[in-house]
Amino acid sequence: MLRRRVITVLAFHDGVLTRTKAFEPDTRYTHNLVDLWSIDEIVALDVTRPGSGERGNFLAVVRALAARCFVPLAAGGGVRSMSDAETLLGAGADKVVVNTAALDRPSFIGELARAYGAQAVVVAIDARRAGEGYEVCAAFASRPTGWYPEAWAARAQAEGAGEILITSVERDGSLAGYDLELCRRVADAVSVPVLIAGGAGNWQHFVEGITKGGADAVCTANVYHFTEASIQSAKAHLARAGIAVRA
Amino acid sequence: MRRRLGATRGVKTVVIVDYGLGNLASVASAVAHLGHEPMVTAEPDAVARAERVILPGVGAFGDGMARLRQRGLIAALERVAIERGRPLLGICLGGQLLATESEEFGHHEGLGWLPARVVRLTPNDPTMRVPHVGWNEVRQVAPCPLFEGIADGALFYHMHGYRLEAAEDSIVVGETDYGGGFPSVVRRCNLYATQFHPEKSQRAGLALLANFLERA
Repeated sequence: MLRRRVITVLAFHDGVLTRTKAFEPDTRYTHNLVDLWSIDEIVALDVTRPGSGERGNFLAVVRALAARCFVPLAAGGGVRSMSDAETLLGAGADKVVVNTAALDRPSFIGELARAYGAQAVVVAIDARRAGEGYEVCAAFASRPTGWYPEAWAARAQAEGAGEILITSVERDGSLAGYDLELCRRVADAVSVPVLIAGGAGNWQHFVEGITKGGADAVCTANVYHFTEASIQSAKAHLARAGIAVRA
Repeated sequence: MRRRLGATRGVKTVVIVDYGLGNLASVASAVAHLGHEPMVTAEPDAVARAERVILPGVGAFGDGMARLRQRGLIAALERVAIERGRPLLGICLGGQLLATESEEFGHHEGLGWLPARVVRLTPNDPTMRVPHVGWNEVRQVAPCPLFEGIADGALFYHMHGYRLEAAEDSIVVGETDYGGGFPSVVRRCNLYATQFHPEKSQRAGLALLANFLERA
């Protein structure tokens, strides 16, 4: 049986591992972050704001991760062109994560998929609550786009996305739990795997992300910055809840 | 000179074919981690002379064949794998390219060295998501040197929307179930193909690669 994935998201500001709260960087670091043999997959995101750091520092991080961690590595943040994607894949990433550039020009997703295969293209969607539903935001969640997340996810899949990474802006760094309704709307709108991020604060949140949110993989970053808990204990909890995971 | 020194130490040079597709860096890292010397090259002569070849690759089938052709690599691969009979491991798309044909984005002819074709992955449960992405069990359905020391049912990382369909059951040595079984490890003589990514499958993946480097 295909295992549900527990994905570790690492956000880097100018090459330094960073935690984020409501998308604002807060630089700290922690023990227990990378539990090498239990990690299923890594998502490395460059959250350096334009002009506030060197792109090369993030590339060095991607190279180092790719050389040492024999698990899939998705990398993104600021990917705006084919050459940005090629640089990350050339540095050892298996997948590229695109967000704002895809919103600005949806055909970019298809160009990436044709060049590298759909499975190498992860479309990240950041959304905020808006009225009865949600709205997708671009550019570090600073720019509303008018897209419903479920509609944008379906469009991204049609353009060639291989996976969707859905993040709640309000829940980011809150440890209050994922926005399950947001994830469910997106998961119901697409047939590609959906990764949920933003808000995991304990292992029960992982269980809910899968059982109630409909996610295929649960992503977490900040929880490891605050707790001594490890990925292994997260997986033990998921297994007790009847969810197939890799030990 | 480097190669000779390597040879005297019993270290084998492993050629990783660079045709502009796929994560060559991770394959090279895994090979180096296992104590062998990876040589990433697009040079047909180097490929033709190799002792062992890995054909990695992610991406679309038609594009992959076109790139092999443009770089003059088809004849080089034929020389090393068919005429010289050196072990060749195709990973994911690299393995699919060994098949006769593919239906991915139209009809494309492959290298034709495995009696198999490449078809879209269609799980019998329509709610199952495609592409098939993640860790899944590989059932060992026939003995194969690649499985030495690896538990039956070990988890490997899959990431694909197309799959092999074997015309002869005898070539299928490993199977993965995702809404129906499909061949995930295929072998014919010195030719090996995995649908999953051993270079991304941690311990089990490294063990499989080590088996290819040392036992195939």
